[in-house]
Amino acid sequence: MPPLLRARHLSLAFGGVKAVDDVSFDIEAGEVFSVIGPNGAGKTTLLNLISRFHDPESGGQLLFEDQDITRLPSHHVARRGIARTFQNIELFEHESVLRNLLIGLHAHRRTSLLDELLLLPAAVRQELAFRRRAEDVIDLLDLQPYRDQVIAGLPYGVRKLVEVGRALCLGPKLLLLDEPSSGLNPEETADVVHWIEDVNEDFGATILMVEHDLELVGEVSDRVMVMADGAVLTIGTPAEIRRHPDVARVYLGDEAVETT
Amino acid sequence: MRFVFETRYRDSLRLFRRPGQRFWFVLLAVALLTAPAWLDTFYVGELTWVFIYAIAGIGLMLLVGYTGLVSLGHAAFLAIGAYTHTILLDHGWPWPLAVLAAVGLSAITGYAVGRPTLRMTGIYLAIATLAFAEVVTQLISHWESLTGGFRGLPVPRAVVFGVDIGRSVPFYFVCLGLLVVGLWLARNLLLGPTGRAMNAVRDSEISAKSMGIDLAQVRSVAFALSAGFTGLAGALYAHQIGYLAPDAFTLLLSIQLLLMVVVGGLGSLHGVVLGAIFLGLLPQLIALVRDELPTAVARMPGLEPGLFGLVLVLFLIYEPLGLHGRWRKLRQFFEEFPLYRRHTHKRQRRYLRTGRLR
Repeated sequence: MPPLLRARHLSLAFGGVKAVDDVSFDIEAGEVFSVIGPNGAGKTTLLNLISRFHDPESGGQLLFEDQDITRLPSHHVARRGIARTFQNIELFEHESVLRNLLIGLHAHRRTSLLDELLLLPAAVRQELAFRRRAEDVIDLLDLQPYRDQVIAGLPYGVRKLVEVGRALCLGPKLLLLDEPSSGLNPEETADVVHWIEDVNEDFGATILMVEHDLELVGEVSDRVMVMADGAVLTIGTPAEIRRHPDVARVYLGDEAVETT
Repeated sequence: MRFVFETRYRDSLRLFRRPGQRFWFVLLAVALLTAPAWLDTFYVGELTWVFIYAIAGIGLMLLVGYTGLVSLGHAAFLAIGAYTHTILLDHGWPWPLAVLAAVGLSAITGYAVGRPTLRMTGIYLAIATLAFAEVVTQLISHWESLTGGFRGLPVPRAVVFGVDIGRSVPFYFVCLGLLVVGLWLARNLLLGPTGRAMNAVRDSEISAKSMGIDLAQVRSVAFALSAGFTGLAGALYAHQIGYLAPDAFTLLLSIQLLLMVVVGGLGSLHGVVLGAIFLGLLPQLIALVRDELPTAVARMPGLEPGLFGLVLVLFLIYEPLGLHGRWRKLRQFFEEFPLYRRHTHKRQRRYLRTGRLR
């Protein structure tokens, strides 16, 4: 089977800073692929490139299911089945949890404006089908107590989960997670392991995750890519990464490695 | 304590979701339907104004309250609706067709304004729409062969299938009916994917994009719908003022419309109606106040716009959610009595948001 996503020679500079420098990797269907690296390594920029918020410099190429998506607008990339979450949470603040999830289903809209204005049977059917799918996600992530609450009043950990739920509503083949455990307490971080496994196995979504918590990365990842200064340092299984000498060097500095 | 009790997903699409809501709406409907029988003709006319404002308000609310795009040019859409309607009536078009054409032309113009301003938000968009309104006013003033310029344009009587609906009582019912239909359409829209996409664009463009929402499409559709509703109000407005002239559609009118949706409460259809009542009553209130003031102050030019501005500022500071927000707090107070806590509605600081990527 061909890889789900192929990134070829992605580069992007902001002014003089090479945020991403000639990055190439493949993501196999069904795996959990983590990207780690120190601050400023270009991890989030890499996700933004895949979401098509930025254009890669010429020579870079993104293939999703063997289709070229390098120049596709963001919303088309989403409709192809690439959903994402954000590091600092970008939910629709004034809406309820349920409505946020329903917005996640927007890509599945099949009704016309007229159907919706007149609430014709097609619109009603679609609305009920959307609701059932949103409820499935609510069940998967145990969001029942918060269903009708407005986002602005929810605790941080729940918001993170709602954002994942909204991404799942898209029915993604590839789910991009930007630091799913940042800002969470240890208990909530332990839950992250569980829902990542659920999403990966039960939901069948391939996961590309940027994460700082190496314990979490080691627990859930099939493969890990290490980035430093915008470039790929190495790609391997969590065990290989742990033994890799350069990895300790980028995290801890040269001297720390020499003394061990 | 009362709460929304639902046993089927279909229940969330019901017209009246809260217990007791149906009763009050039926009462309101009876009151409005019988109003001409027990209300003075003057007040029937005033209520008709409220309905017309409310229809325009639906349009502006869709844009400002639900999509988060501020327009200072909605008087122009009102003008386009009013002039299109009147000119077509003069050319012998039947009344319903002229109204539809007014809605259609306004909506198309709205779409045309929405497209090129895609990348504008906030104050920049407000200025762009202001410029658009100015262009429309200039066009109306100078295209004399079509609009009569500053001489003005008398509006023909409204006759539908041989029945004169232009007199105050029949026209009252026409406006009421169209307002109810308008509110129903807007509610349906807001329940569905397009309404949600509009909310998404308002709250976070970046995640709207990442959810597969086409920003360009949603924004231009919002503009078109908004202009369409306002164009409908414009056609009715023409009959209500009876004589069209460019100075009826000034910046002040745009500001009044904006005032209406802000005072009513952004992001709510109840707010549209509350705001329209407020806007309809305000001139009466000002007239009352004016009688009490010393002549030098009462005759001061710009007293009215000044008061509008003052009201707007006071609402933005003390009740940003408008009359509807105030009403919701009151309702919650009674529903949760004696457990109500003031801090439920305290405004919270937002969490950090991802920087805009453009």
